[in-house]
Amino acid sequence: MAEMRRDFANREELIAYLREQFPRAAAVCDDVPAEPLGGRRAAEERLRAARLRDYAATRNFLDGAVTRLSPYIRYGVLSLAEVKEYALANTRTRDEVEKFINELGWRDYFQRVYVEIGDDIWEDQEEYKTGFGAHEYAEALPDDIRAGQTGVAFIDDQIKALYQTGYLHNHARMWLAAYVVHWRRVRWQAGAAWFLEHLLDGDPASNNLSWQWVASTFSTKPYYYNLENVLKYTGDRYQGDPAAFGHQAFVGSYETIARRLFPRIDLSFDAEPRGKRR
Amino acid sequence: MMTGTVIWLHADNLNPHCAALQAAPGAPAVFVWDEELLDEWKISLKRIVFIYECLLELPVSIRRGDVAAEVAAFAQAHSAQRILTMASPSPRHRLICQRIMQQMPKGSRLEVLRDPPFVETNARLDLKRFSRYWSAVKYDALRGKK
Ligand SMILES: Cc1cc2nc3c(=O)[nH]c(=O)nc-3n(C[C@H](O)[C@H](O)[C@H](O)COP(=O)(O)OP(=O)(O)OC[C@H]3O[C@@H](n4cnc5c(N)ncnc54)[C@H](O)[C@@H]3O)c2cc1C
Repeated sequence: MAEMRRDFANREELIAYLREQFPRAAAVCDDVPAEPLGGRRAAEERLRAARLRDYAATRNFLDGAVTRLSPYIRYGVLSLAEVKEYALANTRTRDEVEKFINELGWRDYFQRVYVEIGDDIWEDQEEYKTGFGAHEYAEALPDDIRAGQTGVAFIDDQIKALYQTGYLHNHARMWLAAYVVHWRRVRWQAGAAWFLEHLLDGDPASNNLSWQWVASTFSTKPYYYNLENVLKYTGDRYQGDPAAFGHQAFVGSYETIARRLFPRIDLSFDAEPRGKRR
Repeated sequence: MMTGTVIWLHADNLNPHCAALQAAPGAPAVFVWDEELLDEWKISLKRIVFIYECLLELPVSIRRGDVAAEVAAFAQAHSAQRILTMASPSPRHRLICQRIMQQMPKGSRLEVLRDPPFVETNARLDLKRFSRYWSAVKYDALRGKK
């Protein structure tokens, strides 16, 4: 088979070439974000720009000091060990760096699980702990979700961002995944495959096992949230009348939401169930 | 006699400092877009662009098609009986390694190299839940940082 081209005058030319070479990929979604750029040079720049000292306190906020290193790490452009060493060398105390290294640990953990389970990464690792059997979840992703037209503003915004940028903040991924699996009762596999089409860091281990964690097939209980949690971590973006944004289904205490979503079971309620864990 | 070495790079390790590129500096290297996998995963254009940009910073010949057949043909075109590649957690990587060897002449070698791991541990890790894994590796991961 002939070699593919390596000489391009600029990025536009490269994109045009790839659009022509991979028409099915362009048919899935034709958007290419201006950033991030692939490659080691861009990866090192991003690593140097990381605000590691602010990470622990702000990482749960959509505008927090997360690093956006994930696509580089996913393709091994930066190894997890290199990123860890850099973080240890560029922070002062254990308190300052522990949370960040713990998050790198999640990736290492998921990779190790993947080595053990192989293609079973697509199978439920355990039963759902939602009171529903796997057969009660829809197989396919509903069209309104794929179109980003669910009528729930913060959900639709994240779907658009996924398509346009190929990146979502961890919290947004959790909200979107829980929306698909618990509010719409769709099997996590449909959502996971959809994410993998678009995430620049799309990785069967981190992605599928995180979906399973949200779904409760790889954790002890389902992840869910309420509007307050969204408002808290999105700044003032969605303040105002929740109904006007199609948010009714998210309004209420965790207990109220859990009764609505999982009427057959009795969950015990923390003030903020597991949101902090990730 | 065939004695040369070639490097097969794949998308789980596009690090210009990876062990394979360091073990055989200047050896011909190849990356193959996996046509079968592209069919299966339906990844969108932005993902392809990102990977391609990573490849453009590497000394690598870029191809597409049946990965095993392309890698074996590449090795033979360079009279190489030794192929270096980087480890991957993917079961597909193992399968492709087997298929490559089926297509290489007798006596050929395929070596799977590893970069330094996130944590050095000899313990068998309990992977049932993250918390168990983390309590086993945390000390080493933070390397005594106070
Ligand atoms: C439903 C869902 C799907 C996900 N799919 C993917 C995926 O396909 N690929 C992927 O790399 N991550 C995935 N994650 C994990 C996490 O959301 C991203 O790694 C993180 O948001 C990437 O942003 P960042 O680089 O700014 O992260 P930072 O917070 O800056 O973290 C630094 C690095 O640590 C690793 N990391 C951080 N958090 C996690 C985590 N919870 N799990 C695994 N690794 C983590 C990543 O490599 C990340 O680049 C998913 C999470 C959820 C809830």
